[in-house]
Amino acid sequence: MASNMSSDLIWECTRGQSAFLCKRKSAGGVQFSRDPLNLVNKHSRKYDGFLSDKAIGINSSDKSIVLTTKKADKANKPASLLQTSSFKATTPARNLYRSIVNSTVKNGYRADLRAEAVSRASAIKRSQRPVRADRVTKARGAKARKEKEVSSE
Amino acid sequence: MVAAKKHITIVKKRTAPFKRHQSDRFMRVGESWRKPKGIDNRVRRRFKGQAAMPKIGYGSNKRTRHMMPSGHKAFLVNNIRDVDLLLMHNRTHAAEISHAVSSRKRIEIIARAKQLGVKVTNGKAKVTTES
Repeated sequence: MASNMSSDLIWECTRGQSAFLCKRKSAGGVQFSRDPLNLVNKHSRKYDGFLSDKAIGINSSDKSIVLTTKKADKANKPASLLQTSSFKATTPARNLYRSIVNSTVKNGYRADLRAEAVSRASAIKRSQRPVRADRVTKARGAKARKEKEVSSE
Repeated sequence: MVAAKKHITIVKKRTAPFKRHQSDRFMRVGESWRKPKGIDNRVRRRFKGQAAMPKIGYGSNKRTRHMMPSGHKAFLVNNIRDVDLLLMHNRTHAAEISHAVSSRKRIEIIARAKQLGVKVTNGKAKVTTES
């Protein structure tokens, strides 16, 4: 992040308590992260984007997919820190993955997050599809008999 | 809703509750487990035919611990923002709506969970009505 402070130090300060951190007692004490620059929503040194110089964020915004990256040399200028580019919902999935990978990983920008970036883009794409309606379940047993009686009357 | 990730079979080594010693004999002794501490206590000394005491060996496999029969782990959710956290975890975690959430908010949460393919464990509570 800031040039006068190491990411490791920021991580040590924020790993136990942070606005992005979401802790639960259930499921063995899971810890998720609300950080928009976190590709898997997992609270960890590798995935949390707010503490590293370079980070990738993929988020949905109103039917489009927004790719956010951090400019490593703008650490002290929060207003111009983020670079965003958005993809329309109609962008084919393969083109989407290709352009995400080409603009980040292929440029030597967080090559460790390649699989995560693609799988998040895919998950968002899937979530933007129209929702299929629930199938109507057939009533069984006493309920069915009751329904039959009502309809025959 | 997406099916849970494949996992090894969940084995519960014991499903019966551990009842407190002599809770069957006295009304004033509740059933919830208390470790017997007495010097002569036969349950503590693990005599034959006595009630079993809980111990670490009854624990579940680490890989299936906290898992529901569906293979998900429950994650307590209060609002839509919490559901969004599960976008990348819909095969390992399921949302469980907090009890104090109103039915109006529940409908929004359930709709969002459906978009993300997140299972909601209590999706019918406070939303559906009887007949």
